[in-house]
Amino acid sequence: MSLFSFVLRRIGRGVLTLWFAVTVTFLMLRLLPGDPALAIASTNMTPEIRARLLNQYGLDQSLPVQYVKYLGRLVQGNLGISFSQNISVTDSLMEMLPWTLLLVGVSLLVTILLGIPLGVVAASRAGGVVDRVVQVVAVTGQSLFVPSVGILLLYVFGLRLGLFPIGGAYTDGTYGGDWYLSVLTHLVLPAVSLVLVQLGAYVLTVRSTLIESLGEDYVVLARANGLPYRRVLWKHALRNALLPTTTLIGLQICLYLVGGVILIETVYAYPGIGRGIYDAVVRLDFPLLQGAFLLLAAVVVVVNMITDIVYGLLDPRVKAGS
Amino acid sequence: MNMAVESAVTPPAPRAGWLTWRRFRREPLGLAALIVLALLVLIAAAAPLLAGYPSGYGDAVLAPPSGDHWFGTDSLGLDVFAEVVWGARQSLLVAAAASLIAIVLGTLLAVLGAYFRTLDTVISVIVDLTLSLPVLPLMILVAALAGPSTLTIIFVIAAFSWPEVTRVVRSQALAIVRLPYVDAARLMTSSPFWIIRRHVIPAVVPLILVSVVLTSSRAVLSAAGLAFLGLGDPNTWSWGRILYEAQQAGAMSTAWWLPLFPSLAIFLLVLASTLLSTAYNDARNPRRNG
Amino acid sequence: MTPRSRVAAAVAAATAVIAALAACAPEAPGSGSNAGTGGQAVADPTLTIATTTDVVNFNPLVGNSRSDYWITNLMYPHLLSIGADGQKAPELAEKWGYVNSTTGFYELKPGMKWSDGKPLTAKDVAYTLNAVKKDAPAGTLYGQLTNFASATAVSDTRVEIKLSKPDASLIPEIGFWGNVVPQHVFEPAGSVASFANDGKNGGWVSAGPYVLKTVQRGQSYTMERVDNYPLVPGGKPKAAKVVYRVYPDVNAEILSLKNGDVDAIANTLPPAQVKNLKSSPGITVEEVPGLGYAHLTYNMTKPALAKKEVRLALAQTVDYNAIRKVVLQDQAVSTGSSPIMPVLKTFYDDSLKEYEYNPDAARMLLEQAGYVADGNGKFPLTFRMIYSLQDPVTTQWANLVKDGAAKAGVTIQLQGLERNTYLAKTNAGDFDIYAGNFAIMDDPATNMALTYLPKGAINYSYVDDPQLNALIEKARVTFDQKEQVPILQQAAKLVHDNVYDNVMYTQNLFVAHRSEWSGFSVKPSELLSIVNPVSVASATKTAK
Repeated sequence: MSLFSFVLRRIGRGVLTLWFAVTVTFLMLRLLPGDPALAIASTNMTPEIRARLLNQYGLDQSLPVQYVKYLGRLVQGNLGISFSQNISVTDSLMEMLPWTLLLVGVSLLVTILLGIPLGVVAASRAGGVVDRVVQVVAVTGQSLFVPSVGILLLYVFGLRLGLFPIGGAYTDGTYGGDWYLSVLTHLVLPAVSLVLVQLGAYVLTVRSTLIESLGEDYVVLARANGLPYRRVLWKHALRNALLPTTTLIGLQICLYLVGGVILIETVYAYPGIGRGIYDAVVRLDFPLLQGAFLLLAAVVVVVNMITDIVYGLLDPRVKAGS
Repeated sequence: MNMAVESAVTPPAPRAGWLTWRRFRREPLGLAALIVLALLVLIAAAAPLLAGYPSGYGDAVLAPPSGDHWFGTDSLGLDVFAEVVWGARQSLLVAAAASLIAIVLGTLLAVLGAYFRTLDTVISVIVDLTLSLPVLPLMILVAALAGPSTLTIIFVIAAFSWPEVTRVVRSQALAIVRLPYVDAARLMTSSPFWIIRRHVIPAVVPLILVSVVLTSSRAVLSAAGLAFLGLGDPNTWSWGRILYEAQQAGAMSTAWWLPLFPSLAIFLLVLASTLLSTAYNDARNPRRNG
Repeated sequence: MTPRSRVAAAVAAATAVIAALAACAPEAPGSGSNAGTGGQAVADPTLTIATTTDVVNFNPLVGNSRSDYWITNLMYPHLLSIGADGQKAPELAEKWGYVNSTTGFYELKPGMKWSDGKPLTAKDVAYTLNAVKKDAPAGTLYGQLTNFASATAVSDTRVEIKLSKPDASLIPEIGFWGNVVPQHVFEPAGSVASFANDGKNGGWVSAGPYVLKTVQRGQSYTMERVDNYPLVPGGKPKAAKVVYRVYPDVNAEILSLKNGDVDAIANTLPPAQVKNLKSSPGITVEEVPGLGYAHLTYNMTKPALAKKEVRLALAQTVDYNAIRKVVLQDQAVSTGSSPIMPVLKTFYDDSLKEYEYNPDAARMLLEQAGYVADGNGKFPLTFRMIYSLQDPVTTQWANLVKDGAAKAGVTIQLQGLERNTYLAKTNAGDFDIYAGNFAIMDDPATNMALTYLPKGAINYSYVDDPQLNALIEKARVTFDQKEQVPILQQAAKLVHDNVYDNVMYTQNLFVAHRSEWSGFSVKPSELLSIVNPVSVASATKTAK
């Protein structure tokens, strides 16, 4: 398979993923009960207001018509106008997305930098005390209920020790260097929570795949040839173990990061897209939800592509073009 | 004739299981996890014997833990211990039901896909696509639109958990289908379902066991997360509901016992489940310590 | 590249991406601000107020969430304000009333200006009301305009209202509920129903004490002082800036108040937290009189609930005292099961007594109505009760209502719903019992028309009693309050005696602020509370 057709197939799959996410969201919103006009208007709404709102949102048309119109606009890059805010969905999303990306990106980086060494240490001493301690610590993190931990961290580090601010992503009215500093201090607690929650998956994956590959013939051979254990472990075995870890990163992005930040953003009052989605659900803001899910799917597609590239860099067999 | 074939091609399952168990017994973490899980199930089963169903209201509102109320009381003066004990029932029920549906559906699709290669392309594309959907936001959406109830929550969690199971089981099933003894079986019978039942399913059982444990524990966390966002079942006590009510009452930082005990229950369950599955995997894999 | 250097490169690239994402620090404003001198009173402080919900809409004619109301209220004045007893008070209008039964008027305070320098005149008021009538935006005001025909600016300070039929409540009600918006900003935007007013075209224009300057959705809304605000002494608000901060989780919100990250909390405190905050150092708790009520309504289109005995029996299974004592921590007062609350002193009738909590009497009533209990003492009566899960107080007492009914052998199934499903089911009449509350029920004639007339927008019991209808219609066209009071009391008695509605309590609300802030002027209801425009503009900070 040539590189060209590989890239082409990859893009095709990305587009398919986007279409799938968009269609699932579109159908779910319209087939499940719930009336967006009611969620927006006050309780004393008359049938006339209701009819006018439904008309304004185009919800009085048949499902196929709505779908075709929606896809048509989507292809032109038009995500529509938010039901509840009357502003462009793109504007609304772009206001929230950077903060979520910052939070998710930083915690992903920290998790990888911590997770891989911990996994290696555990695997190389499998069955020993260090292994057990690392396992318990890693699993402890992923077993925590985020909001409870969030309130605890806020109470201890925010209120009692006064080290970090409570809520928000930056301090209003700060500029330049102070602003960056305030972004950093606001980021610490949410990022720590996110790292805690997902660290376990990385440590355990690295550990188990490394244990597998330490038993592989070539590792045994390398050791028999007199290569130092540490070198075999860190260079040969780990490189193999990183492959499933790369896949895991892709999966984790979808499973926890993109969605899981909802709870974290709620507790830490972080102005990201997770909280935005929750609010949009409460208000039944169809265009905003559709746009948000499309955006999340797009993030996943991009991450998966990056994962594929990293996979290729790490695995010589893929690069050889098998 | 059939008898002979069976004894010839079936892997010696009982002996492997026995070996695994013997190795597992030497793993203190795994054993401890197993005991914790058994205890939690026992508590859920024996809830009526341990505490009366929490209803109505009590005299002492938001009272800290004491001899009368081991885990303190909530903002209605109800006993938190009783809520946690009864909540174990609901939380474990949701976890078990959701993971059961997910496992059955996920395994079925994986095995069918592995055996019938034409199906596999479709199934693996669907799995890939579903895995790239943002799960929690979609769960919230469905739960909010369909109205929060135990059934909705079970269904929602199951609906977004099966692809993970399919993905894991499929790779193993694919390997099995290609083994010579399955090829041999193909020559003996024309019923693919017989082969699947006889050979493929038993071979993926260990993976399924691990999946059950992991999917259930993730289901508990998801259910608690949904409940915390107000999308739990308001009619029955669950760990998520205790946390939700503590949050609504603004009592999470002032009455530490309210979030602590249900969080601890969730924590113990997920921790024990994960440690158990790791220990089980290690015990199955003789290369360990190699 | 070796594998390790590849990984290092990937990490470096990721770091660069993240850094680039964050590389958007705001620029400092040109003029140097000199805030925060020592001394006694802090000059030009910033008042930071916490809220649990984001702003949905900056158009006050559309928005209906609390944060929308609080923030737009600081920019778009109301004609009238309200006192603790529900009596209207002057705000933008100095005088108001009726010329005749189908013509009303408002006299505006002269010399009012929008923050862009344009004068605020009667034309803006007339434009606002006519545009709302024409475009029917989703906000609360449109619902008050049923008998409104048109508004005309007869001079710069006088607006006259034409009514389509006599209505004694229309002038005070639209004066209280309606915000006045600037014609020169809203008219070019087309329909007021779809105008976002998001400040994209040159920012916001305000006639209140503050004007919105920057918005970070999900985090903060920063407002700056308008120097000319004649409604406070001296004409200049005390705090230089007001920042609304969003805390979706009330626990984090309370922590940030204790921490000093915010100066005040706008939303009502959960009843169970009031005691704790009162005893927290550095925090002052203010009581805000309630002007609304919580109630249960029985859907009379259901055969069983059409019977008065069944409704009365159900009303006797509710342990009202326990609900007020435990769930509301004694922060609520009984209305005597009347839709006219004690806070509306002029209208209140203290001869109406609350339904007695007595499950045994309820059983007897049900037997009289012909129901027979089975061996376990259970009647063949099952009702489905809906309430909003976004309303924590109701969510709590819903369980007590269910337990009480069970004592009388009646089964109540709780259906706690997500807010929008709740509204959908409420509007469709898809419930047996409805539990909910209204924030402001300031005018008995208007409210009874909405709650008990056959076509009333919030007539959730679907009551249609000719005698009651006649009384309400009569009250609406009675312009003299002295004559109106007995009519309304008669109507309330009908509602009470026939259990057309089961009004349970008026909740007195509590809000909290840092003790270094003072000078708030408390107004009734959560919507006005300590965050009404005059209160925010009068608040001052003292240095410790």
